[in-house]
Amino acid sequence: MRGAGVVTDSSIQGVGLGLRPPHYADILRSWPAIPWFEALSDNYLGGGLPLHHLTRIRERYPITLHGVGLSLGSVDPLNQAYLQRLKVLVDRVEPSFVSDHLAWVSHGGRYFHDLAPLPYTEEALEHVAERIQRVQDVLGRQILIENLSPYVRFAGSDYLEWEFLSELARRADCSLLLDVNNVFVNAFNHGFDPLTYLDALPAERVKEMHLAGYEEEGRFLFDTHGRAVQDGVWALYRQALQRFEQVPTLIEWDADIPALEVLMAEAAKAEALRSDRLLP
Amino acid sequence: MKLAALQQLFAAAALGTASASEQAHLEAQLQGSRVLPAWQGIEAYRTSVDGKLRRSLEQIYPVCHRLVGEDFFQAMASAFLEHGVSRSPDLGDYGAEFPAFLSDFSPAWSLAYLADVARLEWLWHRAFNAPDQPRLDLEALARVPPEHWDRLVFRLPAGAALIASDYPIHRIWEINTVSTACHDVIDLDQGGIRILVWRDGHSTRLDLPSETEWKLLQAFASGVPFGELCRQDFDLSGTTIAELLPLWVQRGWLRDFDLQEAAAP
Repeated sequence: MRGAGVVTDSSIQGVGLGLRPPHYADILRSWPAIPWFEALSDNYLGGGLPLHHLTRIRERYPITLHGVGLSLGSVDPLNQAYLQRLKVLVDRVEPSFVSDHLAWVSHGGRYFHDLAPLPYTEEALEHVAERIQRVQDVLGRQILIENLSPYVRFAGSDYLEWEFLSELARRADCSLLLDVNNVFVNAFNHGFDPLTYLDALPAERVKEMHLAGYEEEGRFLFDTHGRAVQDGVWALYRQALQRFEQVPTLIEWDADIPALEVLMAEAAKAEALRSDRLLP
Repeated sequence: MKLAALQQLFAAAALGTASASEQAHLEAQLQGSRVLPAWQGIEAYRTSVDGKLRRSLEQIYPVCHRLVGEDFFQAMASAFLEHGVSRSPDLGDYGAEFPAFLSDFSPAWSLAYLADVARLEWLWHRAFNAPDQPRLDLEALARVPPEHWDRLVFRLPAGAALIASDYPIHRIWEINTVSTACHDVIDLDQGGIRILVWRDGHSTRLDLPSETEWKLLQAFASGVPFGELCRQDFDLSGTTIAELLPLWVQRGWLRDFDLQEAAAP
């Protein structure tokens, strides 16, 4: 039963929820039975009330930190000030996992705050792997890299996306955060078999999965995180559970955020699928 | 194409600054999806970047947004976005130049107080997000030998800032943010105002210092050492700096101290 005391063990299992400000009050009042939360690290790099809430919640729940600011794929120098702020937060929160994206968000010192894709070339692979290693050296821990759902892909790639991710994990000795919704959306938009993607990933390196909702505009699927997980994504999640078994899973919801109970119901659905998987 | 050149083209397109030839050059490097042509994919990034920066301005400047309404705010944001560059991975750092931009934005000149309200909102945002800081360490202060007291430099709380305006911007701010605020008509000609914006624990505050307090706060903010403060001719209305100091420490206005480097012999 969650909420009974201080949590010092940072290992996570089961289905967690993305920690979002509209839910602080509910969580701090009722300490709901949620196995763990994922906090957006970029929201807690300062101080004040947000960090105070996170600290209180950390006293009762394991936390993972998920960020968008490392700009791991950028040709800009690594932002050392940002990395140091992240390290301070990591040392304070002692999260189970620290993750960011296979993406870049800056060029020439200008940040555009959106996750831009990389070409799957040997040059990009070497570049990102080296940067991930440097980040891991500073943080003193392995990080998880999440797959994107890009609107465009680059011609002239040397690798397929899943080959690139697998090789990146091997070279950088990092782990992977598999966003099942992104695989589903990419497979639809860019026309590939999502099971080929799942089968190609090194199972031992996939440490966490994300589930979220997409929206359809025209004939394109956008990964908006603004609605419930759709049937096709649940079906793919079943397949992912076959391959990655009891990897902890997160329900992500970032736009038009509903009541905490709605997210808990989504988590319960995911948990039911995981339990089915355990049945003989 | 090399990664650096590709990112330069892509970033220019995402930020809406790419020329037609750069755009065409980029598109030649892209593979459209079966349901979204490459140019539409680039447009989706541009729209997304624009939306994120706009939402950030809306969140940091809710009072300005409310004062001018949605359409006018979006027009101001559009003009600001044309040259307002984000230089930090933290979206919360974006928009520091928005108040100065509003000062020069002629369509908003009829609201003479708007830029000052924006300035106040930015300072409130910075104070809210400032690093946590403990109370001043009195035991450490007591250990400073008397011969060094002259060189003591007291510090305001992290994120604290002073703002003066010709308009009652604190009242405008209150009425548009605090649901219980009295909704009396505000007299814009009631005279200037001086505000200390700071955070006391988890409560971000707007305090209104007296004229004397204001001068002293300015001195502390600019790092004037204690000895020099005592020698300055402040009109303290019958009290002394030595008497005010413990009060300000207790109030939380003074949060830290250090020792100014001793002058070379």
